[in-house]
Amino acid sequence: MLERIGARRLLLIAALAVAVLVGTVAATNLAPNTVYYLTPSEAKARNIPSKQIVRLGGQVKVGTLKVAFGSPGTASFSLVITDGVEDVLVIADGALPGLLREGAGAVVEGAFLPDGTFHADQVIAKHDEVYTAPTAGATPAHRTSFP
Amino acid sequence: MTETTIPRGNTLPRIRPWLGIAAAASFVVASVMALFWAPTDAVQGNVYRILYVHVPLAWLAYLAFVVVFLASVGWLWTKNPLFDAIAVSSAEIGVLFTGLFLVAGSIWAKPTWGVWWTWEPRLVTTAIMFVMYVGYLLLRGLSTDFSRRATRAAVFGIIAVIDVPIVHLSVLWANSLHQLPTVLRAGGAPALDSSMLLTLMVSLFAYTLIYAYFISARVSLERARQRRLWTQI
Repeated sequence: MLERIGARRLLLIAALAVAVLVGTVAATNLAPNTVYYLTPSEAKARNIPSKQIVRLGGQVKVGTLKVAFGSPGTASFSLVITDGVEDVLVIADGALPGLLREGAGAVVEGAFLPDGTFHADQVIAKHDEVYTAPTAGATPAHRTSFP
Repeated sequence: MTETTIPRGNTLPRIRPWLGIAAAASFVVASVMALFWAPTDAVQGNVYRILYVHVPLAWLAYLAFVVVFLASVGWLWTKNPLFDAIAVSSAEIGVLFTGLFLVAGSIWAKPTWGVWWTWEPRLVTTAIMFVMYVGYLLLRGLSTDFSRRATRAAVFGIIAVIDVPIVHLSVLWANSLHQLPTVLRAGGAPALDSSMLLTLMVSLFAYTLIYAYFISARVSLERARQRRLWTQI
């Protein structure tokens, strides 16, 4: 009977079975195991030690984005990342992303300092999935300029 | 061993020039709409317009890899060489489109996110998808025996398609930097203005015609190659 079905068709069935298996393993295991960034609450729950490189993600708390210019050519800025429950003060130096705004998302990469503030080597602004046209006649409130 | 006769078709070569003209014309219309007619985004300004290239290419790459899957099943089930021709053609176009939309996404990412690339879930799974289908094309170079090559590639094409839904769902499964789906999502209308959605749909139509034209030409080329090289398939 196996010969009548054909070796190639058996291979097809086997390949489909493997595909389903791989898909199921991926679907159940990828979600809890892939960590791109931790929210402030997750970072606090895991007790991340200082000096360990980690990424935090959350919202830039309104009223906390401060850009200060140091000696000529350098800029440092600070902001508070929040997930609505926990806040983390982030201090960064380096390029300020064009889309970084208060109330919008951001992902920062760096390490905690012993006093609980976060020193970020890289700050990435996050954009949500909504695209809106500006209201008639008005220019958009924020423009990104190409660096 | 498989059957020897590969019939010549002649409907497709006659409509292909018209398909090409339609693809080129709709591409021009879509590009004009994307660059000039669609409104600027209230937050991002004009840089968001690359959406009209990035998103259709991504959706068509998904489609191309699903076509590879279906053609692979077809080859294994029926041993008809046409299915192998369709599989390799669609894989090539899928790899091309994937490379293009990765570059387009990167161009968008630098002024908005602030980085050209980062290893976040959507980008990682897409990079894996790209590398896997490049591997599919390389795998085909391993054997000059037609049916062995086709069978090997078909098995790979069936397993590799699993990454396509993983790429789409990756932003929903883990904390990610890439935004959540704007159009292909459960619950809620597409989250963009109607004129933007119209431009996106016109762009999708144009790129679909481009895909159709490319695959038609490539399958025809592959069939000619099959006739020339494997007269004793």
